[in-house]
Amino acid sequence: MTADESTDESAGDDPLHVREPPRVLVPVEVLEGETVSASLAAFLAPAEVVVLGYHVLPEQTPTEQASMQFEDRALEAVENVAETFRAAGRDVETRVAFTHDRDQTVDRVAAEVGATAVLLPNPVGEIREVVVPIRGAVDADRLADLVATLLADDAGEVTLWGIEQPLGGFDADAAVEYVREALASRGLPADQITTEVTEADSPVRSIVERSAEFDVVVMGEGGESVFTALFGDESERVAEGAVAPVLVVRDRTVEE
Amino acid sequence: MESADEHGTNAAGEAPEPVAPPTAADGETTVTEEGTELERSIGLKGGVAIGVGTMIGAGIFVFPGLAAGNAGPAAAGSFAIGAVIALLVALPASELATAMPKSGGGYYFISRALGALPGAVVGISIWLGLVFATAFYLVGFGNYAAALLAEAGVAVGGVPVVVPLALVFGVALTALNLFGTENAAALQNYVVGLLLTILVAFLGYGGLDALGVFGASSAPETFFPKGVMPMFTTAALVFTSYLGFAQVATVAGDIKDPGRNLPLAMVGSVLIVGVLYVSTIFVATSAFGSGRLSQFGETAIVEVARAYFGNPGALAILVAGLLATVSSANASILSTSRAVFAVSKDALVPQYASRLNLKYGTPHVALAMAGGPVLVLVALGEVEVLAEVASFLHLVMYGLMCVALIAMRRDEPEWYDPDFRVPAYRLVAGVGAVASFALIGFMQRASQLIGVAIMVAAAGWYKYYASDVQLKGVL
Repeated sequence: MTADESTDESAGDDPLHVREPPRVLVPVEVLEGETVSASLAAFLAPAEVVVLGYHVLPEQTPTEQASMQFEDRALEAVENVAETFRAAGRDVETRVAFTHDRDQTVDRVAAEVGATAVLLPNPVGEIREVVVPIRGAVDADRLADLVATLLADDAGEVTLWGIEQPLGGFDADAAVEYVREALASRGLPADQITTEVTEADSPVRSIVERSAEFDVVVMGEGGESVFTALFGDESERVAEGAVAPVLVVRDRTVEE
Repeated sequence: MESADEHGTNAAGEAPEPVAPPTAADGETTVTEEGTELERSIGLKGGVAIGVGTMIGAGIFVFPGLAAGNAGPAAAGSFAIGAVIALLVALPASELATAMPKSGGGYYFISRALGALPGAVVGISIWLGLVFATAFYLVGFGNYAAALLAEAGVAVGGVPVVVPLALVFGVALTALNLFGTENAAALQNYVVGLLLTILVAFLGYGGLDALGVFGASSAPETFFPKGVMPMFTTAALVFTSYLGFAQVATVAGDIKDPGRNLPLAMVGSVLIVGVLYVSTIFVATSAFGSGRLSQFGETAIVEVARAYFGNPGALAILVAGLLATVSSANASILSTSRAVFAVSKDALVPQYASRLNLKYGTPHVALAMAGGPVLVLVALGEVEVLAEVASFLHLVMYGLMCVALIAMRRDEPEWYDPDFRVPAYRLVAGVGAVASFALIGFMQRASQLIGVAIMVAAAGWYKYYASDVQLKGVL
């Protein structure tokens, strides 16, 4: 699913030539005490941000019943998260949802707001080092829009890390080069970009193992396979194992 | 709170809490007044599983022996009558549910169309009706668990174990629901799928055999050995087997694309179980005479399976019976807690009853109001009375739902915009209402008295506690 490859030159006098302003969906399980740290908010602030406060209910509880009792608390908690972003200079859109199924709600809202990427939160300190593991087809233009926006004004460095699997037909060198060019064409200085390519039997495990070296992981959805049906999305497994937050770049869907 | 003046308050000063207008519902969410989204997460399969899962426990696994004993082979006709009445009610219920896709089901429609007094009577008696139904399913479970123990050769020393087993399981199910059940709905779907597979295989083979495909056709018994009347009284008894379809409407607030999925789930689940019930009775009365069948009691269907498939068949049906009665009991406990929520939201009972426990996110007060009385009734162990009182209270609601449909169509308030409209609604709803009320007339006197007493008590409660509350047309 590679988007049209013609680089859009109509970005005007914006020093960053992003094709479309990236938009990050930040789902927060508000009533479980989840929040967004000031450093993460500051890191995401250059992008448009939608905060989704959600609460997952067991099936025997009607969402309506929960909203009667917890709505005010949820709204307040989401407002606190929004306040953190405002302190970092970004006014955010907020949504609140009660659901029985987290993934269904996050996917629906992400599609409705046209999110470029969805955040899978993990604790993090100050953010300088971003890693982009590339292990298969990824929407390079969206990825580049996002990374270039977040790292503009010397906000940090990005490591483009191509991962080849033995016997896999994936040309990691070419993919890394393509993303590097996409970042460069959006005005990200070359000294902020590092590239490397390694071989790994299990990309997910390698990413998790190295996640401690970086502050944020940015990766693609990784598509559906028998394996993901059994063990969950690659990005979700990375987020579970990694010590860093993960930004999952969404594949472009047909209607967008 | 402005609604306090508008719609009245109860004795504790609480007013009905409107959550979201019906116009705020779309296929995927309901949006509350403050803009919070309530996700709809049950699809068509899940809706059918709720309907079938609630119903299937009784008709096949508890009633065949009892019904055949009462009516002979005409018991198949009793189940068919039940199916027709259930369909006549399912259609109006579908229309109302697509116009008001909110939790609460029949109670919600009746209170909005006919007012707070009928609403309160139905809301409170449906809570107790579900309690009776749950107790009935649990006693059925106890019978199967006891039969399984006997099959396994576990000596119980002649002590009756049915009621203790049912009690233990009633406590276990309530506790399970209190502490949250991960993926209970997915599990329910699998259980129902497995059940349907076992039943279709069993009934398919048995049915062909009864028709003489595999050898001599069994000698047909007189269809009405005891006359026509027992077919109707038996229909009143076995109507408990159809109580599940309206439970789909109690989770209407959680159903995706309710305009399409609600009618399909309600009508579809009635059709599925109706066909299974009628074939079960046909196969069972062909395998044994109805006289012998009735001697086997609640687990008669196990003996039928043994006759066709030997001990493995008996074991498969025993296990299926356990699954089916558990799934019915569990679905009913959940519906009970939703029924309690619906009336407490409207301030007809203290709003404390719908409190959630933050740690588990479960409605612990409402679940206790479901599980507690169930245990008392299980201890009584009177299967037929439990079943009939449950049917009585549901039938009152079904009849009034039909009346509610006619009232809604006559008034057609501005917001009333159902996605599904019953064709020839006057006829369908009129016959549905008359049939529902008529079926009550065929019940045992004891069940009728208990049912009426519960309704009078509910009306008394309303007069005492919430007579100022207005609900008609409140959304």
